[in-house]
Amino acid sequence: MGRIVYAAAMSHVLYPDYYGQNVGPHGRRMVEDLIAVVRDMGRTLVATAPDALVVVADDHLNVFSFDAIPALCVRVGRSVNRMVQDDAIEFDRALDGLPERYPVHEDLANVILEKGMQSGFDFAASWSAPLDHAFLSPVSTLYGDRPVPPLVPFWVNCFVTPQPTAKRCFEAGRHIARVVAEGPWNVAIIATGGLSHFPELSLARVGQSDPVFDRRIVKLMEAGDDDAMTALTAKELHESGSHELLNWLVLLGAVSPARARVRFFGEMGRVDLAALEWDVA
Amino acid sequence: MSRYETNVLLYRLKKDAVFRDRFRADPRRTLADADLTDEEREAFVRWDARKLNDLGGLLHLLISIPGLGAH
Repeated sequence: MGRIVYAAAMSHVLYPDYYGQNVGPHGRRMVEDLIAVVRDMGRTLVATAPDALVVVADDHLNVFSFDAIPALCVRVGRSVNRMVQDDAIEFDRALDGLPERYPVHEDLANVILEKGMQSGFDFAASWSAPLDHAFLSPVSTLYGDRPVPPLVPFWVNCFVTPQPTAKRCFEAGRHIARVVAEGPWNVAIIATGGLSHFPELSLARVGQSDPVFDRRIVKLMEAGDDDAMTALTAKELHESGSHELLNWLVLLGAVSPARARVRFFGEMGRVDLAALEWDVA
Repeated sequence: MSRYETNVLLYRLKKDAVFRDRFRADPRRTLADADLTDEEREAFVRWDARKLNDLGGLLHLLISIPGLGAH
């Protein structure tokens, strides 16, 4: 019987130059402190020796075009490439120098997809979508030079209206937990993104965050209050700039009823940064 | 509002370097066949990113177009 052996969520622009340029020395120092914590979390993750690492993250209009935007998408296939973007935005310069290709845990990805179809989750499947900073910045920080286990990338549409609901994301996480429990693998799962930034996805509000909202949701996760988390509305997420919490809601479903432990929380102004772990052992 | 067309064009500007170069050289001509309102077309031609955002252009596209990113 399989089990989830490690679970964590963290902000996903782990790139000091970005904050140095856009926030200043204070921002650079804060993300460097976060990176040190995430590296330490990586030591715990590596010690659990997972057979697969599920990474729940979002697309920043890098991968999926307006031809089709999947609400929830499982990456299948045998391997997945790092995204290549000419003159990439600073976020994605965090990808420079990383390996070009990563293994996919094909069997787990297929089972999540196939059992989803049998139980009411008609996830999209992609054989070709590459990974941007939302996936690889945390993975590369957690693993450093150590080998990365086979991945199961899982996308949530966080930015293109209409997004899946908080409740639906949580239930997708419950599905992943059931699949893991029924399978033979030890699985780690991380969710990435946040905390609040880019409220209302408004260019005029770039540079703002909502620390009151962020403090509230971190407390809810520490308390294991899944009811309150799944009751978050699209309006609340949009107004506070917490779109990427939808990724975290998938993880919450996967680990429920575990409670979060805060490893890092920092209010930067432009974005609030966090890293949390869940006791799943 | 042609939200779909606006975002299709923004995505193409991000991903298609040849199209992006044509747009930068002559935006009005490059968008001549695009299904845009007059307001959207003018926002593209003047590259008024905030206006495009107000008209439904997605933030993550507007901030990530090489050479035009409004970040």
